[in-house]
Amino acid sequence: MSANKKQFVYGKSLDNAFLAVYDAYVFFIRFFREIFRGRMEFQEIVRQCYAIGNRSLLLISLTGFITGMVFTKQSRPSLSEFGATSWLPSLVAIAIVRALAPLVTALISAGKIGSSIGAELGSMRVTEQIDAMEVSAVNPFKFLVVTRVVACTIAIPVLMFYCSLVSLLGAFLNVTLNEGTSFIAFFENAFEQITFLDIWTSVAKAIAYGFTIGIVGSYQGYNASKGTEGVGKAANSAVVTSMFLIFIEEVIIVQVSNYFRI
Amino acid sequence: MATSTKRSVNVGLFVVIGILIFVVGILTIGSMKKVFSSTITVKSIFDDVNGLKIGNNIWYSGVKIGTVKSIRFLANSKVEVMLNIEEKSQEFVRKNAKAKVSTDGLIGNKIIVIYGGTQKVPSIEDGDEIAVEKIESTEEMLAVLSENNKNLLGITSAFKTISKNILAGKGTVGMLLNDERLYNDLDQTLGAMKKASVNAQTLTASLASYSAKLTEKGGLANDFATDTVIMKDLRGTIARLNETVSSANVMVNNLKTASADLNSNKTSPLGVLLHDEATASNLKETLKNLESTTEKLDENMTALRSNFLFRRYFRKKEKEQAKEPAKEEVKAEENQQ
Repeated sequence: MSANKKQFVYGKSLDNAFLAVYDAYVFFIRFFREIFRGRMEFQEIVRQCYAIGNRSLLLISLTGFITGMVFTKQSRPSLSEFGATSWLPSLVAIAIVRALAPLVTALISAGKIGSSIGAELGSMRVTEQIDAMEVSAVNPFKFLVVTRVVACTIAIPVLMFYCSLVSLLGAFLNVTLNEGTSFIAFFENAFEQITFLDIWTSVAKAIAYGFTIGIVGSYQGYNASKGTEGVGKAANSAVVTSMFLIFIEEVIIVQVSNYFRI
Repeated sequence: MATSTKRSVNVGLFVVIGILIFVVGILTIGSMKKVFSSTITVKSIFDDVNGLKIGNNIWYSGVKIGTVKSIRFLANSKVEVMLNIEEKSQEFVRKNAKAKVSTDGLIGNKIIVIYGGTQKVPSIEDGDEIAVEKIESTEEMLAVLSENNKNLLGITSAFKTISKNILAGKGTVGMLLNDERLYNDLDQTLGAMKKASVNAQTLTASLASYSAKLTEKGGLANDFATDTVIMKDLRGTIARLNETVSSANVMVNNLKTASADLNSNKTSPLGVLLHDEATASNLKETLKNLESTTEKLDENMTALRSNFLFRRYFRKKEKEQAKEPAKEEVKAEENQQ
């Protein structure tokens, strides 16, 4: 027992958990150190942006459109009780711009891009490509991690705006089929209640989510081990961890934005 | 265990603690909103808070000035609501302000609305109690509204009957509207009233003129009202009149006594004259004799004038009488000069 106590500081599980946190912390700090050090790989960033956007565009279009349409459909009965179905565009726009679009984009991207980054970097790690880059005097962290994280941080807000538009189109389709509202009337009504605070909050959310997806995916892939099994584990962990962090960030950002709102 | 690994575990622990503190701090700030703004606490006691919750807003003149801190029951089934009011708004809320439970918009959250208060009264302080105005619940309002509807229905029904009667020419108003004769009478009456009012106007003008004269200085009424000497003289005159009346009374009494005495005492000279018929006939005879004697004496005197013994005397007297007017004229001329 005494040997065990000496072997671990707080116990095996706690020590492992704290070590994982430490590793993530070191990775996080290294990212910020590397981003301001040396030449930026702009071409790689652009290529990653294109890859991330292109890979997610169809999925985000479909989910965004369905989300907008279904949310409108579900909200109608509550509003029609008060005879306030004319408020549907405003309600749906607020919900989409403030919460749904950033969250849907982030969750879809976490599943699609996060896992992709995790698997890609994990396979590079287990096949020792990263080690080979180090040997060939190329900074793998700068080239692989920084570019992907920056690309995610840039691409997710863009995808979020795109998702908002598609969701609003889905909502418009539902509204116009039921209430016969015109396109101009719908969007005038929808944007009447949207403030710059809503938009900036959504942008902040999307930046935070993009950064989280990139950094978590890269961390999991970069630190993958144990062969092909490790690659799958890295991809899985990237999705689960980034989704978990996205929800925590959602709560925090909403609280902060509410502080400014009131 | 290697020192570097131990250090790494501790750093990991501190990172977790740091993240937890950050998250808790953000959540606390977000939920408590203006946690750093200093507030005062006042209370209000309601009969019914209509679903008010902790954290609901407090409005004063449409501006949010605080939140509901706590809600608890008191012994007599009343509800004590503690209100957190921002210190910067404290000076505007007066001690005699009132509180009521209201709604934010048509279907919004419940809020406390503080209103009223006068500038003469000092501002509220920590621990003060704000008086509550009882707001009738929706059910009570609807009950009153229902009663009003019934009353309104009764009133409109009565009006319906009245208007029907009026149209049929029944009742005073109906006859007034439909009977031409009544209209003519009314028209004449109005004409007469118009004339009367013109007369009244003239009368009023005359009265005004009269009253102006009364108040004019030197007038009798004005003297009566203002001159103290006249009143004194008047009082003296009245006193003397009283004395005169008393004297007249005494005199009348004396006369009465004398006349009674005359009536009763028939043997006195005047009584005999008044009551004795024989004496009266004698007296008449005597007067007749005196008349005839006088006539005869007159005749004798005329005869005497013609007598030569007295003729000279009468001529002298006539001459003197003729001279006296001439003397008076001379005297008058002398006086004029």
